[in-house]
Formats: sequence, C-alpha cells, structure tokens
Amino acid sequence: MAQCSFLRDRCLLFFSLLGGLILGITILPLLNMTIQELSDIPHLLQVASDSKVIDSIILTMGAGANAIIILMIFGIPLAYVLARAEFMGKKFVETIVDIPLMLPHTVAGILVYILFMKRGLVGGPLYNIGFSFEDAYPGIVVAMLFVSSPYFINSAREGFEKVPLHLENVARTLGATRFSAFLHVTLPLSARHIYNGAIFSWGRAIGEFAAIIMIAYYPMVISTLLYYRFSTGGLKESSSIAFILILSCFTVFLILRYLSRFIGRYDDRV
Amino acid sequence: MIEFDKLSLRLGDFYLQDVSIRINRGDYYFIIGPSGAGKTVILEAIAGLHLPDSGMITIDDRNVAALPPEKRRIALVYQDYSLFPHMSVEKNIGFGLRMQKCSKEEIHRRVSRLLEQFGIVHLKKRYPGTLSGGEQQRVAIARALASDPEILLLDEPFAALDPITREQIIMDLLRIHRKKNLTIVQVTHSREEIMRMANRCAVIIDGICVQEGPVESVFQNPGSTVVARFIGMDNVIPGVIIARSSGLTTINLGGKSITAVSDASPGDPVEIAFRAIDVTVELHNGFISSAQNRFIATITAVVPLGGPLTQVHMDAGFPILALVTTLSAEQLDFSPGMDVVASIKASAIKVIENEGVT
Repeated sequence: MAQCSFLRDRCLLFFSLLGGLILGITILPLLNMTIQELSDIPHLLQVASDSKVIDSIILTMGAGANAIIILMIFGIPLAYVLARAEFMGKKFVETIVDIPLMLPHTVAGILVYILFMKRGLVGGPLYNIGFSFEDAYPGIVVAMLFVSSPYFINSAREGFEKVPLHLENVARTLGATRFSAFLHVTLPLSARHIYNGAIFSWGRAIGEFAAIIMIAYYPMVISTLLYYRFSTGGLKESSSIAFILILSCFTVFLILRYLSRFIGRYDDRV
Repeated sequence: MIEFDKLSLRLGDFYLQDVSIRINRGDYYFIIGPSGAGKTVILEAIAGLHLPDSGMITIDDRNVAALPPEKRRIALVYQDYSLFPHMSVEKNIGFGLRMQKCSKEEIHRRVSRLLEQFGIVHLKKRYPGTLSGGEQQRVAIARALASDPEILLLDEPFAALDPITREQIIMDLLRIHRKKNLTIVQVTHSREEIMRMANRCAVIIDGICVQEGPVESVFQNPGSTVVARFIGMDNVIPGVIIARSSGLTTINLGGKSITAVSDASPGDPVEIAFRAIDVTVELHNGFISSAQNRFIATITAVVPLGGPLTQVHMDAGFPILALVTTLSAEQLDFSPGMDVVASIKASAIKVIENEGVT
C-alpha cells in the first residue's frame, strides 16, 4: 500500500531520483572496490586473517567506544545544562562545543598533542606519575574524544530539549528532586537521541586519522595502519584493508541502527 | 492558606505585576482571565517552579521562597495532562510514592485504591499515548492525588474534554474537594465553571490581578470594565453622573439619561455595565412610556447564536446589545432598521467608578 502510493507520488519519485545520485557517489566506488577485491579472494582472506589488521580494527573500535563512554559521563550533564539553563555567555559555550566540528583535523591533533604530550599542561603531570598519552592507547582515546564530542553533545542536547519542561515540573511537584526528575523522566525520554548521538560520534571517532597520528602513531589504529601499508606496500594491500574495514563498519552500524528501533519507542506515541 | 504579597515575576517577555491574592485552606479557588494573562505562571509560582523577582509567597504563614517544589506537597495538573509517556498508567500514578520511597506494598495499595476510585482499573497496564483525553485527565488527577497533597493546582482541566467527560470529571473534583477538604486552585477562561465550582476567585488580565474575592462579589460588583466584560457584561458604556437622590443616580449617556443604583456623586465620569440578558426588547407601538430606562432604539443587526438565544444589536443614541429567545425574535420578526423599545432594570446596571485605579 505504502509502496503503491510512493510510486504514484511524482514529487517523492523525483526527489528519490535526485537523492539517488548522492547515494550513487557512495555506492559506485564501493561497488568498484568490491568487484576488485572479490576478484582475488585468496589475497583478501590473507589480509583479513592478518592478526595486525584484526588487532588494529579491534583497537580502533575499542578506543572509540572508550571515548564515547567518557564522553557520555561528561557530555550528558553538559548537554542537559545547555538544554535547560539560560545563562550569560551561553552562546560562547555553545560555540566552544562546536569548535572541533570546524577545525581541520590536523589542528585538532595539534591542540590535543600540546595539551597531552609529555611536557604538556595535562600530559606532563600525568607522565610524571607513569601515565603516558604519547604513542599510547590513552592518546588515541583523547584524540577521538576531542573530535567526536560535538556530535554527541548536540544530539543529547536536542533530545533533552524535546522532553517537555512540563513533565519535569510535574515530576518535581510529585516529590522528585531535579536530579530524580532528570533520571526517571528526562533521561529515559531522550534515550534514543543519546543513543543515536553515541553511534554518530563513535563513527566519527573510528574514522579519525590526522588528530590521532599526531599524538599516537603507535599503537596503530586502522587508519594509521592503512596509511602505513599504502606508503610501504602499495594500493593492493591497503585497499584490501580498507575493504575489510568498510565491511566491518557497515555490519556493526547496521546492527546498531536496527537496535535503535527498540530504544525509546514510547516517545513516538505521545 | 496561600498568600501572594505584591508578587512580581518576569519570564521572558511576560510580566506578573504586584499580584496580591489570598487562598484560604479548603477553598475552591479560581484564577480567571483571558488566554495569555499569566494564570499558569501563578500556578507554577505556587508550586515553586518560579521564584518571584520581588514580593513574597507564604503558605500557612511561612515564606516558601527557599522551599523547592518537591518539598511543598502541592500537586500540579497541566492542561496537557503531562503524563509520563514511558510509564504505564499504574507507574504514572505511583510515581510520586516511589519518589517518596514508599514501600512496594504501600504503593500498590494506594495506586489500586485510586484506580478504583477513578474507574480506571482496566487501564492500569496501558501507556498514556493510547488513552483518550478524558482517560488521561483521570490518570493525571489520580497521579496528583496519590501523594496526598495539601493543595491541588489544576490548569484548565476541562479545556480539551467532551461535555459528558467534562461533567463526570467536574463531579469527581467536587466530590474530592468536599471529602478531603483539599484546597484546589483552578485556572480557567470559562465563566460557567466558576459559578458552579468556585467559592473565591481572582481575575488576572495582562499579568495584573484586577479583582479578587468571593465569586458572588466579583460577579455582582465588577471593579473595572475589563472585569465587567470578562464576566459577561457585554454592554459597557461611558457616561457622567448628573443627579443623585435616595440611592438612585441618573447618568447621562451621550444625551440619554439612564437610572442606576450607585453612590457616585454628580459630575463623576463613570462607566455603566449590564448583561445582554438583562435587556428586554419590545415592539415600538408609537407610545413613548415615561418609565425609567426605556429607550427607543433601532435594530442594527440580529445574530442567531445557533441555540435557543439570539443577539439583537441596537442603537439608542448609544449601542445596546440584548439577548432574546430565538422564538420571540422570530415571533416579533426583529430585523435591521426596525424601531423597538429596549428596557433595562435599574438594579441590573452596575456603575463602575474610578476607572483605571483598580
């Protein structure tokens, strides 16, 4: 029924054709690569079973997830304040939140490096107690955290803003403190936005390259490994790694998108 | 007892200015006024959701400025019911009790009693998004009463209900008010609800409390033309007092004289107000009676209201609006351009002095 009316709706059909061109720009190179890769399956399997590649993919996804967990702990309170409070300099704070969106990634890398290097403002004291960011896992995590934070904070904030203030007000008159009202009413009702924001920023974190290599060339995240293999082993080897990464990302994100249908379903009915 | 002492509050472009009202324990108190007058803000201020910029709110002679909403024992029901969409009816009603850390058995017992009391037992597992307006309203009121509040605030509770559901909920509220001796503060812009339910009321217009007191007194003696118009006195005409004797004053309305009961002194500029329903319209038979407050008038428009009543607009040197039965309007064949006699009882006319001071 829905399909039938879709085909009859000329406007939707026309828009789909236009939109299809954009999709084509993504699909065409993917298809091109897939055909190439599938023409030499033994080589593909060999790269796919390379423990360095597997470790690197796990490292990248793990560090990304780690960054998002930290981002949630600090970003959710910030997003709530931005959604609910009016204060002097709010526009200023909002712009600071957005800065990582506008900066070239190399600039983000320099900013992170200066702060977290062995002689850096934060990195220095931590290095003295044996905690290093340079060429280490924590370096990858902070670089990912920095570049992906706006996606998460803005999405969570949008979710909080969509929860009517009246619901919080009612919860408070029923005996909930502001924190309880947040915990029992606002947070569950924004779950879908928070979840989607987390997926987005996780994707952004996994895709980061420039900011990460500036502070942590080692251990190699997948984009670093890819670049390394490209400059040492050539196109054939690196494109197989790329193909495997695309395949794993596509699968993971498809599953996550599917799961998002089960989160915060109730708000559709209000 | 809730008391507002010269409360001022600014919210964005909206101002509440020097509002002083007193709500006694056990009152069914109405806050009335047109849309956007600031009625909901007053409810939210009582609940503690807004802090006043100046002035004071006291509850039982205690300044509540430092008391957060969760400690006030005041329940609020919004016009949109504001049920928690992610909780079942049962969980919604039990929310307040859970926040107060009541035991599971206690919550279950009290929620069950309220479900029964409001006739919504069959809805307990349902989610708000699947309920009708009337059902949502019942759940919202049950949820508000669950934590046994001392004051119940209702923001236009009947605005979105069909007449039958509205009637049932009015009966529910009146019963609860009587039984629990609960203080209820209700916001409305409907005049009919007030006459039926309230014992005291405040009229709020543009963020200012223009009149406050027992309902009868506000409705019988509007203190300003704004209140007069709001409570249904559609005829408001400016004039000047020209004579006074034995409690009756004569007022000059652009050349015509009208008599009313008032203490105003000759020379005072006043406004007179009366209800359209208090105007009698008769056919003009050529004979001009010398009786008081009878005017020869020309009908300018006849507007049937779709029900048993019809509006008759007339010009008697000043405009008069009358409300007559559609039946008599048809029998007497009222039509524009026709000359008729309009009469108003002196006791039906309110004289409003000192306009602008109230």
